[in-house]
Amino acid sequence: MLTDFNFRVILEYMPLFLEGLKHTVFIAIIALVLALITGIIACACRISRFKILRYPVITYIEIIRSTPLLVQIYFFYFGLPTLGVSVPEIQTGIIALMLNSGAYIAEIIRAGIKSVDQGQIEAGLSSGLNYVQRMRFIILPQAFGVTIPPLLGQAIVLVKDTALLSLISVAELTRSGQTLTSERFMPTEAFLTVAFFYMCIYFGLKTLADWSQKKLIFREAY
Amino acid sequence: MIEFKGVNKWFGKLHVLAEINLFIPKGEVLVICGPSGSGKSTLIRCINKLEPIQEGEIIVNEMSVHKPSTNLTKLRGEVGFVFQQFHLYPNMTVLQNIMLAPIHVKKIAKADAEKIAREKLERVGLSEKAAAYPIQLSGGQQQRVAIARNLAMSPEIMLFDEPTSALDPEMIGEVLDVMVGLASEGITMCVVTHEMGFAKKVAHRVLFMDEGKIIETGKPGAFFDNPKTDRAADFISKILTH
Repeated sequence: MLTDFNFRVILEYMPLFLEGLKHTVFIAIIALVLALITGIIACACRISRFKILRYPVITYIEIIRSTPLLVQIYFFYFGLPTLGVSVPEIQTGIIALMLNSGAYIAEIIRAGIKSVDQGQIEAGLSSGLNYVQRMRFIILPQAFGVTIPPLLGQAIVLVKDTALLSLISVAELTRSGQTLTSERFMPTEAFLTVAFFYMCIYFGLKTLADWSQKKLIFREAY
Repeated sequence: MIEFKGVNKWFGKLHVLAEINLFIPKGEVLVICGPSGSGKSTLIRCINKLEPIQEGEIIVNEMSVHKPSTNLTKLRGEVGFVFQQFHLYPNMTVLQNIMLAPIHVKKIAKADAEKIAREKLERVGLSEKAAAYPIQLSGGQQQRVAIARNLAMSPEIMLFDEPTSALDPEMIGEVLDVMVGLASEGITMCVVTHEMGFAKKVAHRVLFMDEGKIIETGKPGAFFDNPKTDRAADFISKILTH
């Protein structure tokens, strides 16, 4: 079977793959940055004392976590135009990924904050530090250390989730494979190449995760 | 200095502080002891409002602690608190741990705060550990840093919640030595501890609690050698014969 493997067609379609890779990386980076901002704001509301901030965000997080990403993507793809908002596919995809990852990131950050020992808060309290000072100097720096690995995990998930955008005809990496398959009918070549590129991104992020772990080692150790 | 007036506190149905009336004058070293669950930690945690109370009033330096209008930052700046588990900030060096509150609560300039911090570190005998992280220190050293961190705020009152209970036996002495030094300087101290040697040596008064009530108070010599109540006698015999 492997003797039939056609390397030439992969090389021939390489410009298309690289174009797809470029879009995938671009979408992932933009969506990740926006998701981080969304996640931080959502988390701040989620742990707020005020119900008016807390309850809408709990609803948002539960909706995202209880529905498949593909359904969310379709919702924005078909739903936004009916609301009279016309957005190109790529932006639609970024919005969907941002809101999806944002909800998970909010929960990751919240878990990090909750993981900080109650005694740390009491130490801050008893020395007279106010809420913002306790957050800034004591809780967030410690939460950050435990949050980095799951955040990078979420980044990896986000990169792979961009593949779903091929279903709303965004010209990303998976879409390149689909194009090759429909033009030449060589799915093995097409999707092995696609998989290879995803793995490259994955190992890049994983290296970053391992490096950051070493950097933050003292925060892990207590 | 510190006054409890008819204080009652419940954790759910558990009556953890029952009708506490207590006056601690300026400069007194008070040792609080009693069996586990008797409310002694809760008692001192109420003094700087780490815990709310349901009834009564606690007055510290003329401030009513649990009144919503009380300036808690000011109150907590005057009251130090040393925890059983030290609770140093692991993301900061020893020096940064000590400087944090003076800079951000007392608004002392950074250079001055550092000077104070080094002074207090020397006081607890750990000058050479200024740049270390808490995890690199032994338990006894961590607790001494925690004491220095409190001293940097120049508190008038220091509260100690079982400061030596989490320590290995050979480290208890170094922490107690620092506390004995403080006691001789006229800082008001409330110490929850079972270290009877410390109580006999420096305490002005011993307070025995059980089931949320103050059962007995007295001079340390009289209390340990000649307790007035059976419950105190029973408790003392248990801690001395373990």
